[in-house]
Amino acid sequence: MKLVDVLAVALVVGAVGAFVAGEAAMTRAEDLRAVYWLAVGVVSLRAAVQVVRPGARP
Amino acid sequence: MRVDGLLERLSSVGVAAQASVPGVYAWGVTVAPGAWARGAPTLARAGAVAALVALAVGVFGERRWANRTRAASLWGFVAACAVSWWAAPAGLGPLRMDASRGIAGVLGWALFAFVSAAPAVKTGESEDRGPEAPALGPFRRSTRADAAYVAGGALLAGVLQSVGWRIAGVERSLLGRFVALAAGLAVIGTSTQIALERHAPRSFPSNARRLRRALVALLSLAILAFAGLLWGVAD
Repeated sequence: MKLVDVLAVALVVGAVGAFVAGEAAMTRAEDLRAVYWLAVGVVSLRAAVQVVRPGARP
Repeated sequence: MRVDGLLERLSSVGVAAQASVPGVYAWGVTVAPGAWARGAPTLARAGAVAALVALAVGVFGERRWANRTRAASLWGFVAACAVSWWAAPAGLGPLRMDASRGIAGVLGWALFAFVSAAPAVKTGESEDRGPEAPALGPFRRSTRADAAYVAGGALLAGVLQSVGWRIAGVERSLLGRFVALAAGLAVIGTSTQIALERHAPRSFPSNARRLRRALVALLSLAILAFAGLLWGVAD
């Protein structure tokens, strides 16, 4: 497993943590915090895909 | 009808058709009871019917328009279910949704997300991959690592479903379930995509080059983290 693969997995796990934090904020009716954490989760998932995407095809 | 014949026919269709089976199950457990409950508005029934139509469009349109139809069907189905829940929120209340039905619904939606995100199951050895597609060698077959990626994504999506069950208020509870569902779909999709990207033909770019390519997303993440830090300090 390469370093970027480890980074991608860490980003996905981080995204899930952000989503959980967003849902918890939603439970406490803290909407702004919920939106912030959900945005962090979405961007983390996007970064995970970008990191592992292969280069030019041979 | 023979079981293997049924499996052959099922495997000859695409992801949307295979996902329609758990989709209909999840719809039957979590959407239909609320939409056709006494006093439910017409919009709830319309949303429920539209969800089934979205599934059907995905099944019949996948062969012609492939991935575009699959994505439209998937998100159309989820959005139509959300409309139905929004129009008749009492359908998800404790009076109509006991614990066993709730667990069955979560399992149904999780299975639907898993089947929607995964590649279509194929039977037999001969697969038509198109004229320009390279032949898959043994090293490009699915490995245990791929299964671990997908299982890990499903596990993380399951973790997301465990949060937000005690939200006060029907509307907020509904929004929480919808967000959890959408986030679970995205996590399973991303983990599956990461597993598949490992097998794609590549020119083995260096780690630095890959990180440069992901620079925009990583910078956005850093800015969000910095903003959150400032926010925390200000509070």
